[in-house]
Amino acid sequence: MEQPTPSRRQFVAAIGNLASAGWIAMNWPQIAAAAGQTGHAGHDMPAPPASLNTLSAAEAAEIDAISNLIVPGGATPGARDARVVYFIDNALGSFFAAQLPSFRQGLAEFANGFAARYGAAKPFSAAPEEQQIAWLHQVDETPFFAAVRRLSVLGLIAMPKYGGNHDGVGTQLIGVIDRHYWEPPFGYYDKDYQGFEPYPGTQPYTL
Amino acid sequence: MDRKTYKTSETVDFVIVGSGASGGIMARELSRAGNSVVVMEQGPRMEPEDFEHDELKYRMLSGITNNPATNPQSFRKDASEKAERTSGGNALTYARIVGGSSAHFNANFWRLHEIDFIEGSKLGPIAGASLVDWPITYAELEPYYTKVEWEVGVSGLAGASPFDPWRSKPYPMPPLPVKSSGVLFERGARKLGLHPYPSPMAINSIIYKGRPPCAQCGLCGGYGCEVRAKSSSVWTVIPEAELTGRCEVRSQSYVFRIGMNRAGRATGVYYFDRDRKEQFQKARAVVLCANGAETPKLLLNSAGPGHPNGLANSSGAVGRYLMFNKGGGVQARFEHPLNEYKGANVTRVLHDFYDSDPKRGFYGGGGFDARSGGPLSWGQSVPQGTPSWGPAFKEYLESYTYWMTCAGHGTSLAQESNRIDIDPELKDDWGVPAMRVTYKDHPDDMKHAAWLIERAREIMEAAGAQQIVAEPVREARGGVHLLGTCRMGNDPANSVIDKYHRTHDVKNLFISDGSSMVTSGRGQPTLTIEALAFRAADHIAKFARANEI
Repeated sequence: MEQPTPSRRQFVAAIGNLASAGWIAMNWPQIAAAAGQTGHAGHDMPAPPASLNTLSAAEAAEIDAISNLIVPGGATPGARDARVVYFIDNALGSFFAAQLPSFRQGLAEFANGFAARYGAAKPFSAAPEEQQIAWLHQVDETPFFAAVRRLSVLGLIAMPKYGGNHDGVGTQLIGVIDRHYWEPPFGYYDKDYQGFEPYPGTQPYTL
Repeated sequence: MDRKTYKTSETVDFVIVGSGASGGIMARELSRAGNSVVVMEQGPRMEPEDFEHDELKYRMLSGITNNPATNPQSFRKDASEKAERTSGGNALTYARIVGGSSAHFNANFWRLHEIDFIEGSKLGPIAGASLVDWPITYAELEPYYTKVEWEVGVSGLAGASPFDPWRSKPYPMPPLPVKSSGVLFERGARKLGLHPYPSPMAINSIIYKGRPPCAQCGLCGGYGCEVRAKSSSVWTVIPEAELTGRCEVRSQSYVFRIGMNRAGRATGVYYFDRDRKEQFQKARAVVLCANGAETPKLLLNSAGPGHPNGLANSSGAVGRYLMFNKGGGVQARFEHPLNEYKGANVTRVLHDFYDSDPKRGFYGGGGFDARSGGPLSWGQSVPQGTPSWGPAFKEYLESYTYWMTCAGHGTSLAQESNRIDIDPELKDDWGVPAMRVTYKDHPDDMKHAAWLIERAREIMEAAGAQQIVAEPVREARGGVHLLGTCRMGNDPANSVIDKYHRTHDVKNLFISDGSSMVTSGRGQPTLTIEALAFRAADHIAKFARANEI
């Protein structure tokens, strides 16, 4: 018979108050799954930011264009699909706020350099993709590009509460299933493992 | 359960500074022996439901570790340089919560070998290093290794490795299930005639002492364990200490100076409470279990009349002989997914290269394991030849589940010049003078790291890896295994504590943590730190009963 999934309250009671070993053993998969809920989506998880609060719309458009070339979309989701720019906006307005001045300066230099090379009629984000890619090849050794790249990877994979990894598309992209309880086999190579074979002269022992 | 509390005006038997791997054990043992105990912990107390699987917060934003923004450090390679604050993080990292670094460790729990305690006489002297024997032997510590394994909880398979030191009892739990990285590591190593075996881990594989088995969530190193399967002090010995009714764990209490009287006795500790208000807790004796960085910092910041160079520092050894564990390894990509994000981080290790072999031309030995890392950190760099952006970079990101790490964990030689002292200018958010770290790898450590990388490469080649990426050997600029900074020894002229963990200079001041270690071992020091704590607590409790503190 299928076991009902314990609630968070049951999980805390079981783990914190030392429910009987038999009860834990019988219900462990469900308990462990509940632990995931306890520590994650089910536990005071703030909603991801739904608006830009740090970058201007023009700045965000440029960053979005750059990050979507770092991790492009297509057959599978890219940085734009993961809403990486919301993560970057959130990060620069909070836990990475100290980086905001140099980030802005880097963005200005990036934009000025682009305008000097291709003209000021259109910003980078509105330029043809060939021009964008060509310009990124010119600047991909700069600290500013490194910063956008770093933030793009973080925004792709970090928990959705930070603004990116929208609907878990970044997690899915790298092949990770967001669960908090697993049983073997875990991967391809442990499926058919025959067990540990002792070495000559050794006598592994347990209780 | 109502937790015991003490007033600061009460003179408790012991104040223990630090609630981690050693502090938790010290608290349990001393309170069970009938002593009143207050444990001071800098960080907050977190309950199971407080821990998240948040790699950004825990790995990159100092979610539960010392925060470089509020607890800064400075670093330099040698004394000729001016130390500077390091960008991107502190040199020395440790957890700052109840449970200390035992709350966020990987839980890889192998013992030191007999040779670790006598390398000075067997292999020394080594130019530029201070390789000396411990004042205790493996035989003296063995009962306490066993005590950790049974009291705290370790899973493993005794006798599986032909290189294992002797032991008096098997592990209380069978090993954790192997994962793909362990299978590949074992396959490659066996092809080379090596002897990989199931990793001893401080993680429950079965229900043990009222705690459940591992949920195989994949997030051990850097994270707290919300199901309490990881044998962290916060889930094991600390609740047991509190059950005595004689132990208070006082979280968010930052000890910044040890009180001393004119007779040269410790009188208690000065600390900032959670409101950053200065307090003083009286005690008959003080035990420092604050880790290999905070313990010397506290002693040096406790300088005063009669001890102008820091407390318990007549030898000048406080803060010196800092050791990490120099390591080297490779990442390897395989044809099929390993899914290393699942399962306990380590499931297979080998100790074939544990002993230092003079034929290699340098000092050094190491253990190897198969392990994994989180995707946020992994995705920040690419192998040489792989584009760092664009479609090819995206393809690389999509290969995350096909990779594993084969890591060598090795020795660091003790050097007098590698040290923690107090920065003359830098202070933390509480106004406490910050630590200055001076560290440069010994040339043998660098050679050994390169040697470890080549062995890791061979193992992964033999396992059939399609691509192997070896990082270049770099000089260490910090670490998480913080060892040797108040070394144990028989001679007060060159060591800080005696073999019973009493400071040579102050009768009622004891130290037991990573700073007590004389040599570095080969990584994974927490089991040894905990065994030392059990042994020290036995002796300290006897001293207390005999009124010798």
